[in-house]
Amino acid sequence: MINIQDIRDTARDMLTKGEVRTVIGYRRGSRGMLAEPVFITDPAQADDLVWDPTCFHNLSLYLVHDRKFLTHIRQNPGVPVAIVAKGCDARSIVVLLQEHYFKREDIYIIGVSCEGTGVVDERKLSSQLNGFQASNAAFDGDDFVFTTAEGEKRLPAREVMADRCLECRVPFPKEHNVVFGEDKTGRQLEAPFAALTRFEAQGTAERWSFWQNHFDRCIRCFACRSVCPMCYCEECVVDSITFPVTTETTAEDKANRIRWIERSATRSENITYLMTRAMHLAGRCTDCGECERACPVNVPIRLLNNKMEREAREQFGFEPGASIGGPSLVASFLDNDPGQFIR
Amino acid sequence: MEKILDKKQIDDWINALTDWEVHAPMLQDGIWTYQPVSGAVRLDHPNTNQSPKGFAFPQREIFFSFEQIKGEPPRLTQILPKEQRHAVFGVRPCDGRGVPRMDKVFTDHVEDPYYNARRKNVAYVGLACNKPPSPNCFCLSVGGSPVSTDGLDIQMTDMGDRYFVKAITETGKAMMAAGGKLFAEPAAADQKQVKQVHADAVAHPQRKINDPDGAPAKLKANFDSPLWQEMAQACIGCGICTFLCPTCHCFDINDEVQSKAPMKGQRVRTWDNCQFPDFTMHSSGHNPREGTGARLRQRVNHKFQYFHENFGMHQCTGCGRCISGCPVGIDIVTVVNKVTEHAG
Amino acid sequence: MPDNIYLPQLARVVSIKEEVAGERSIKTFRVEAVDGKLFDHECGQCAMLSIFGRGESMISIASSPLIKEYKQFSIMRVGRVSSAFHELEVGDVIGLRGPYGNSFPVDDWRGKNLYFIGGGCGLAPIWPVITTAVAQRANFKNITVFYGGRTSRDIMYRTELEKLRDSVDVHLSIDKAEDGWDGYCGFVPAAVMDQNPVPDNAIAITCGPPIMIKFVIQNLNKLGFKDEQIYTTIENKMKCGLGKCGRCNVGKDYVCVMGPVYSWAVLKNLPEEY
Repeated sequence: MINIQDIRDTARDMLTKGEVRTVIGYRRGSRGMLAEPVFITDPAQADDLVWDPTCFHNLSLYLVHDRKFLTHIRQNPGVPVAIVAKGCDARSIVVLLQEHYFKREDIYIIGVSCEGTGVVDERKLSSQLNGFQASNAAFDGDDFVFTTAEGEKRLPAREVMADRCLECRVPFPKEHNVVFGEDKTGRQLEAPFAALTRFEAQGTAERWSFWQNHFDRCIRCFACRSVCPMCYCEECVVDSITFPVTTETTAEDKANRIRWIERSATRSENITYLMTRAMHLAGRCTDCGECERACPVNVPIRLLNNKMEREAREQFGFEPGASIGGPSLVASFLDNDPGQFIR
Repeated sequence: MEKILDKKQIDDWINALTDWEVHAPMLQDGIWTYQPVSGAVRLDHPNTNQSPKGFAFPQREIFFSFEQIKGEPPRLTQILPKEQRHAVFGVRPCDGRGVPRMDKVFTDHVEDPYYNARRKNVAYVGLACNKPPSPNCFCLSVGGSPVSTDGLDIQMTDMGDRYFVKAITETGKAMMAAGGKLFAEPAAADQKQVKQVHADAVAHPQRKINDPDGAPAKLKANFDSPLWQEMAQACIGCGICTFLCPTCHCFDINDEVQSKAPMKGQRVRTWDNCQFPDFTMHSSGHNPREGTGARLRQRVNHKFQYFHENFGMHQCTGCGRCISGCPVGIDIVTVVNKVTEHAG
Repeated sequence: MPDNIYLPQLARVVSIKEEVAGERSIKTFRVEAVDGKLFDHECGQCAMLSIFGRGESMISIASSPLIKEYKQFSIMRVGRVSSAFHELEVGDVIGLRGPYGNSFPVDDWRGKNLYFIGGGCGLAPIWPVITTAVAQRANFKNITVFYGGRTSRDIMYRTELEKLRDSVDVHLSIDKAEDGWDGYCGFVPAAVMDQNPVPDNAIAITCGPPIMIKFVIQNLNKLGFKDEQIYTTIENKMKCGLGKCGRCNVGKDYVCVMGPVYSWAVLKNLPEEY
């Protein structure tokens, strides 16, 4: 059982001593029960930190923002930034470290274990509460307790947890500087890729019809890309209208840029966008679920990424973000890589 | 024209609207969207996930096609929207108020032929909000109300087993006339009840902007405040707030090419968004709005200061979608309140 | 059929002149209507030029409104659409729609001394005012043109500027000394100070790189010019040109409608988002 005060004390302590320059964590948001990201530089604000089942954001995204900002202003403060990280978030950080996005000493990971539970899936909660909204969510053993206008409602966590949490095998940030909560690795509430397997029980025709419907609905708000820590490319290959231009970029460069897809949110363009993104995340996605949670029209994006991750696991025995020194899926060649495609 | 319609007869009324393609909110894939009606209509939705602005201002609008063979002048063929009347049911008052605001943008200075071709063929059949559909509603703070009829052709009020149906425009009257005998005259008790329902609706608590009248001046005074970067620190620069908003209208124009020789393609308008990092990027590489703070400031200023200065009303209608939709909790009510409380 | 504000009219390129060569080359295009005639415009207004298949660009109309046969545009090669313009040949047909924006209140300046201060390709947007004033020379008192390029090869409208010397004081400058250059050497704001223009009964019209405009205005204020006497024209990224796409606003003003021409008295009170 995690005592949030321990996390707050750690944050306050490190900020006061100047050991870290910022603590990126979660605080209560102003709209209903959801937590929101907070960037604490003043030790007095450390008491704003919360830990509850609505802390779904993958805060490692802000490590990427921080790095981009420091590069832009050409400064290196030399003092690390601290980040509150769940198991999935810590694995994202490991992938970023594998890709040399920043150095290990640039960050201080305040690990938080999900122990036996995980985060809430807002859609599952909404159907459990008959469309009513909750104003507060709290952990309580194997249950979540929600405060609604009709009073308190206690639900078994398993019924409202996100699929990715149910399938999670390592709900514990193995890479950390300090960690709170017990390691419940292997707790496995559901088999890995369970949601994907259920989906694939349908025939190809049904699945293609399913995806066509969703590709038609995507409005190309780019929230899935913007919220993903791995989508850090300054120039996104499938969005050649928004690309980085500096005063040094030549007219030639701009003229020669290829428009791989158009701005129109039509089926063909959306397929290209979503599928390319899934391919580019193969072996890098740690199933933080943010893309699917952020999507304003409920496209089940996670299924696309999950499919790639299952391929990675089955073909190469590969798990993204397992360890800092480990190989990356597409950038490493190992002698014992299976090569069925050339046999 | 005020009438009573038994809830059981709403499908009969919709079937009588043979001149119209009727749309109503349906729950699909976990969200409420306007769909063409096929089957029973039950107006029991909170609010739709996206606003109805897409009926007059769709995500994609083809302006014209071009064809150019080398050595000859190009041939341009204008492509105006098809003549098709749409009736949208279940429109909440906040979305209704969004309609005249969009109208102002697309008819001010010069008229937009594509918007107008669609707009004149859309009828908005509103549904008053007996209680706030969203925990993030704040229509009363921006000059609106749960029973506003602004922008609507008809207002319906849910009275339990029946609707109180009021025509606001001539189009609304014609649509009600199409329903003929399905509609009954309201009794005195009905009039009393609808007044009470409306009074209760307006009295229902919702989120509040504390000083909406002071917002334009305070926003101006706080233009250079470091508050903006602070409030925008979590912003990821996606398009959710603007794409879901009933009054956001920014767009892009691009040529989509199908073949190069001969050059064949179309000039297309698509939704765009001031929160995208390169929205205002000059070709030279200079970006007047660098940073999420400047872009958040632009959106809030546009809604609560610039539009007000140009048209005498706030552009925001208090639907709360940007608040509910933001993946990282950026909350326009909190933002405006923080700025108005801050000495500029 | 109602006028479609987004549908360009066709215009044929009748002449192309390379003003400045190199990486950021500038070419001057003159276009005539393919059918009928081109729209009338006023000094300072802009037009959207189309290359079908590439896109549109908002360019200042550089020719005087008094010229009806053609319209002139000077385009610097900076990006995707402008590069396509630089590949055009005489006889090619482009799209044209306009005129957009507000204009310089030239009629209000009758009887006044006019100082034009341009830098780089900023000469083009104010060129119609200069040439219109020269064509109606008797309406104005002294006319002075200050114009500077980075090097002597970056000076545009060179021949036309030399011809102006008959009726107008022309002061050309380059940033650094060069062999064969006996004009002023230094930045344009300094070149202006060097001549000590007098604010009495005067209007100053300036356009160029933002940094140049900033220091020119500072210097003019130092010389006693009031903010209402200083005019400039700004630019912002534009797509529709009609105040609808929401992109080019500076505060409550869409630059394509309420601008691009501003007196400094008004512009200094708008947010610096351009």
